[in-house]
Amino acid sequence: MKVLMIIPAYNEAENIAAVIRHLAAEAPEVDYVVVNDCSKDSTAAVCKENGFHLISLPINLGIGGGVQTGYLYALEKGYDIAVQFDGDGQHDAAYIKDLIAPIESGQADVVIGSRFVENKGFQSSAARRFGIRFLSGLIKLLCGVRVRDVTSGMRAVNRGMIEKFAQNYAQDYPEPEAILFSALAHARIMEVPVQMRERQGGTSSINLVRSMYYMVKVSIALMVARVSMRGECG
Amino acid sequence: MTARLQFFLLSALGVYFILIFYLLTKKRINLKYTLLWLAFGVVMLVFAAFPQLLRICTEFVGVETPMNGLFAMLIFAVLVILMSLTAIVSKLNEKSKRIIQALALLEKRVRELEGKDGKGT
Repeated sequence: MKVLMIIPAYNEAENIAAVIRHLAAEAPEVDYVVVNDCSKDSTAAVCKENGFHLISLPINLGIGGGVQTGYLYALEKGYDIAVQFDGDGQHDAAYIKDLIAPIESGQADVVIGSRFVENKGFQSSAARRFGIRFLSGLIKLLCGVRVRDVTSGMRAVNRGMIEKFAQNYAQDYPEPEAILFSALAHARIMEVPVQMRERQGGTSSINLVRSMYYMVKVSIALMVARVSMRGECG
Repeated sequence: MTARLQFFLLSALGVYFILIFYLLTKKRINLKYTLLWLAFGVVMLVFAAFPQLLRICTEFVGVETPMNGLFAMLIFAVLVILMSLTAIVSKLNEKSKRIIQALALLEKRVRELEGKDGKGT
């Protein structure tokens, strides 16, 4: 099966080359594309110098708009599986085969790389884990599916979900919403254990000031998505 | 409502409609976004022309003076128009997102055709 890694990158000039080299070494059989979300630093220049596969957005769209561009590309090029993989060095390419195996064998439509199945590796701060647990509970309440690491940006989806995400994907902070959307579209969701690292350079897109906005926005978005998709999934 | 007040209300509405039609004829605004403005203008015009109707309506909803009823209606109309503006902005946001994505995909394709994309790995 044709596999595409979608690698969103915003201001990752320091990390992106190492991430792609590591990826090429660990998983040479998969294709990848970096989606540069109009970074203010030299992310695009670094990618071009190194001859990486690059989609460079002319205007900043936010992580969701960038990732969706990757899904549009996967759709256009006829990929069977798309894997989201952060460009900041938090994700380990060694887990890619674990992510795509359940899709290749037809066991799952969506596979989430989860820090909280085996609770190993970087676990994030207590406050963030509490937020993640809250959103996980909300998603369970809204669609009956338990996903522990709802904010994980490491995930693989099959062709059917590539088509759906190319149509409909939240523009900012999309990860929990995408899980609910998948569940309501009757996708089979599976979590596989992964370990993540702390970011190696650059700055995270979520700081303390934005956390409140994040929780409120995502919670409302989840409830709205549940109500507006009721008709489609009975 | 005094005759004086009625006169000034009708004059203000006249200016309101002239302004809308001026912007429309100059093509500074699209008619489809102006329909709400025109609809609320007509409602105001009816109430200004027939103050009795305004009194009946405001008494029915429990507002004591007709002018307060008029203010309440105006504020409601402004809120509805603001909501429609938010809806319009959101739609534009979605459209611009799609254009940006399509443009980025085309730009990648140009680099591919020039043989510049993905040489490294």
